[in-house]
Amino acid sequence: MEKVLLKKDLNSWAGKLGSYDIYAPFKSGDVWGYELMENQAEITLDYPNTAIPPKKILFPQREVLFEFEATQEGGMEIREVLPDDTPKIIFGVRSCDARGLAKLGKISQGGIEDVYFTRRRNQTVIAGLACHNPPSPYCFCTSVGGSPHSLEGMDILMTDLGDAYYLESVTEEGVKLMGSAEGIVTDPDDKQKADKEKIHSDSEKKILLDISDMEKINEALSEIFDTGLWDRESLSCLRCGICTFSCPVCHCFDVNDEIIRTHPLKGKRVRTWDNCQFPDFTMHSSGHNPRSDKASRLRQRVMHKFRYFNENCEEFLCTGCGRCIEKCPVGIDIVEVLEKAKTYEK
Amino acid sequence: MKNEYIPKPARIISVKEEVDGQRAIKTFRTQFLEPDGFSYRCGQCAMLSVFGKGESMISISSAPHITDYLQFSVLKTGRVTTALHDLEKDDVIGIRGPYGNGFPVEDWKGKNLVFVGGGIGLAPLWSIVHTAIENKDEYGDVMLIYGARSSNDIVYKDELDGLKKKMTIHLSVDNEEPDWKEFVGFVPQNVMDKKPSPENAIAITCGPPVMIKFTIQSLNELGFNDDQIYTTVENKMKCGIGKCGRCNIGEHYVCKHGPVYSWEKLKTMPQEY
Ligand SMILES: Cc1cc2nc3c(=O)[nH]c(=O)nc-3n(C[C@H](O)[C@H](O)[C@H](O)COP(=O)(O)OP(=O)(O)OC[C@H]3O[C@@H](n4cnc5c(N)ncnc54)[C@H](O)[C@@H]3O)c2cc1C
Ligand code: FES
Repeated sequence: MEKVLLKKDLNSWAGKLGSYDIYAPFKSGDVWGYELMENQAEITLDYPNTAIPPKKILFPQREVLFEFEATQEGGMEIREVLPDDTPKIIFGVRSCDARGLAKLGKISQGGIEDVYFTRRRNQTVIAGLACHNPPSPYCFCTSVGGSPHSLEGMDILMTDLGDAYYLESVTEEGVKLMGSAEGIVTDPDDKQKADKEKIHSDSEKKILLDISDMEKINEALSEIFDTGLWDRESLSCLRCGICTFSCPVCHCFDVNDEIIRTHPLKGKRVRTWDNCQFPDFTMHSSGHNPRSDKASRLRQRVMHKFRYFNENCEEFLCTGCGRCIEKCPVGIDIVEVLEKAKTYEK
Repeated sequence: MKNEYIPKPARIISVKEEVDGQRAIKTFRTQFLEPDGFSYRCGQCAMLSVFGKGESMISISSAPHITDYLQFSVLKTGRVTTALHDLEKDDVIGIRGPYGNGFPVEDWKGKNLVFVGGGIGLAPLWSIVHTAIENKDEYGDVMLIYGARSSNDIVYKDELDGLKKKMTIHLSVDNEEPDWKEFVGFVPQNVMDKKPSPENAIAITCGPPVMIKFTIQSLNELGFNDDQIYTTVENKMKCGIGKCGRCNIGEHYVCKHGPVYSWEKLKTMPQEY
């Protein structure tokens, strides 16, 4: 289904979606992030990209898995804590981030299903937004199989036509959601169709970073596992972890117990985002650490994204959003590392 | 939809102190509070919860044919394992699993089995040792070469004495002790001393990383090919189901694809274990 929605009508459409929790980009201070909208009239899609990707809505930074409480009979009662089942819409998700959610889905729902992620994903509709201009000079979506208007992971793709949005449904959920805009939207005319196509093809040409020969990267990386490249490239790393926290597909987590009361015992099991750049991520309690230095940890981050995930799922675990490059306080640049990896002389 | 992160409460029905002191080891037998269809293969593991402390991945050391309890032997080393050691009979823990690939026992039918263990490394071998003895006619000769730092550090002492009638057992300790009559030295040296034959044999080794490394060298020297040698890998784990992303060696997730690997396979993988 394809429709056109005047920009001034975005908020009246959102107003009709009262049964949903609506998430949209929101600026607080200088920083854009996804927030739950209290007031539908505040939705604005005039933004570059958020600092933290929308993964936090489907995979929160901290999440209670279950609660436990000792019973009087000497047993242990375990209460599963599932995410609430209010349907959600996320407005304004950029194509890179929608692909990120699709990749997270492959990890969370492939093999043994992650109940928490699946439940959230199944009740979430993604109404994303194509990019006119790359939101950052570090964008490289086209090098990793994406594009500024990719449909992967979207339920609806919106394209900004200036005074209106061009809406394309991608899934049944998208069709349903667009149905709720009946009376507000119109059918696109030929000019609007042509404008949309032009915006899409122009936007691809504006991406500044282009990594060549990505089809050979897996092989190139396999040949430089034991080289000095990793030492050199990781030398300045501060182990702050911003690269993985801001990544739309990094999904590693830790699991810990929090105690609410000691007698009788009551508490919760909680999972929190974790980070492969932290030294204790892989450290055994004996002190032995399979990835004990910064070099092996940077190598893990790069190899996981461009080689290991590729081996298991035949795609990259990277969407080219550029956040890890932009946010790194010491300038570690994954694109640069890949370029060096391709030409590394052993 | 089954929620894999939710453990099932189980009661500790017995606690046995195997080793005391600095490197304490205790063996726990547990029963689920409610009947559970928990079934597993030799060499698989389970995530044990001490509620309020967290979870640890521990090998199931009982054999699959034993249905009235699950057994775990635990070395006291950090937060969760120390809390486990503080528990007593009738206390409740949580169990989820089983996880991992386990030993390819079907492929080993008709073969001689040589087990080489060190310290707590006998725990993961214990289920397959018992299975092999229980089904003696399905396997060839079974030999165990096992060592610990001192005689105090040997696990399953009473059982080992009883088993000597059913299989060949060679024990060792690292240093001389007054009443010690068996081999003195490291496990790989004992392997060279006892010279198990590689003929129609599979060797399975489990223990500290250095011991495994030198044991494999010894086995190679005795003529064992890399595809006749199996070992287990212990990488730090949180989820057990390939989601939390910390146990990987290259593209292999030890919690799913391991912890059992043939040396032929493991030696081609990055040395991140
Ligand atoms: C496949 C497998 C089988 C194992 N079998 C046994 C066994 O039969 N008996 C035994 O005593 N130990 C076994 N271990 C090691 C055991 O899991 C760790 O010693 C234990 O998790 C340490 O937890 P802790 O809380 O006491 O230590 P801490 O240092 O406080 O660890 C905190 C957390 O880190 C993780 N962790 C730390 N070290 C390890 C490690 N080496 N392996 C896995 N996770 C770790 C755990 O999630 C733990 O809860 C096994 C490990 C694996 C991977
Ligand atoms: S333990 Fe979580 S991925 Fe293996």
